[in-house]
Amino acid sequence: MRQAGMTAAVLLLMTAAVPVPAASAPVSRGELIYRVAGCENCHTDRENKGARLAGGRKLATPLGVFYAPNITPDNETGIGRWREQDFVRALRDGISPDGTHYYPSFPYTSYTRLTDEDLRALWAYLRAQPAVRQPNRAHELPWYLGLRALLAGWKWLYFTPGAYTTRADMSAEWNRGAYLAEALAHCGECHTPRNALGGFRKGYYLAGTSEGPEGGVIPNITTDKKTGIGRWRASELVEYLESGMTPDGDFAGDLMAEVIDNGLKFLTPGDRKAIAAYVFAQPPVEHAVRREKKKKKDESEF
Amino acid sequence: MSASAAEPEDIIKYRKNVMKATGAHMGAAGAIIQGKVDYKKSLADHARALEATMRDVPALFPKDSDFGDTGALDAVWSKRAEFEKRAKETAKAVGAFSKVAAKGDLKAAGAAFKTLSDTCKGCHKDFRKEEK
Repeated sequence: MRQAGMTAAVLLLMTAAVPVPAASAPVSRGELIYRVAGCENCHTDRENKGARLAGGRKLATPLGVFYAPNITPDNETGIGRWREQDFVRALRDGISPDGTHYYPSFPYTSYTRLTDEDLRALWAYLRAQPAVRQPNRAHELPWYLGLRALLAGWKWLYFTPGAYTTRADMSAEWNRGAYLAEALAHCGECHTPRNALGGFRKGYYLAGTSEGPEGGVIPNITTDKKTGIGRWRASELVEYLESGMTPDGDFAGDLMAEVIDNGLKFLTPGDRKAIAAYVFAQPPVEHAVRREKKKKKDESEF
Repeated sequence: MSASAAEPEDIIKYRKNVMKATGAHMGAAGAIIQGKVDYKKSLADHARALEATMRDVPALFPKDSDFGDTGALDAVWSKRAEFEKRAKETAKAVGAFSKVAAKGDLKAAGAAFKTLSDTCKGCHKDFRKEEK
């Protein structure tokens, strides 16, 4: 009798701790979160035909080379031993289960804005993927960046944890767009230029950079007419986020083509419209980014 | 003068102009297909122009035109077989688009345009560095 009462209490506790039903519904929501968050784009070494989510993609940045880890449910090399709260802490606070700080090459600076519900849906989706055994590759960083304790200082300077909070003075569409752009699709992680410490330059939100990941030139997507996309119409941005075509008939390439193909095109038209509304509500920032000329191979070693 | 004797800089400028012309016709055709403008009669013209510019993309990327003011990735040359395969897909898609555009069937042209667009994006994804 006493035992039955305890079992009931435990069951009750478990139910209370997991408010999202374990039905298939959160998985499809999870897949959408997973796609638009772009997990697969970094955690899969597509170029070398690596297994999905098993890690290893090389992310070359001005600060060093990062290799995204294995996030399949493998017990030894992946995140198989993680609990849901470990996952939530990783994305919300940028802290691994063993208590070390993550480098912000993992964009928890954006994912921290995700709602609890979306984080849990993403966790459920990742748990359901096939486990792949593949050890992680160490990052290649200058020695002074090897000191992860320094990341605590970096976070103090540049990181504000916490889920997205609705702005009451803006429309529902704007807020939806802000959530998608700031938290989930993390546009600013690539499109905002960084300072020497890898923090975002103040006043340059979405203003583009010539030092993007993998040496990419990331365009200014503020509403500046000269150096940004101020001459586009919002409807043209909506079109771009689905098909990749710019108003002048050019097509997205490189990382942005991945972002569209694997993520943004799965959003509802309303969500793409919300992103465009949010982007077009941002202030113009005049900031020209241009590509360096590519060196001839045998010329680069002068 | 053969193409290989041309200055790499001039080849790159040439191919950028061809690509720009391609983009301009894609943009124009897209506006017609989306119903933003009413130039249905011109759709076939744009499609024919695209057939001309996209007929032989690999020819625009000869050896030694891989440096300078270009966003072309090394993969254009190091994964040549794949690059040529993709270029063929584009040529095929543009031919199909032109055929339905000539018939004036806007709906079929829209579907063919989407297929063509996907080949543009696919190639840019794997063979072009992101740029402004």
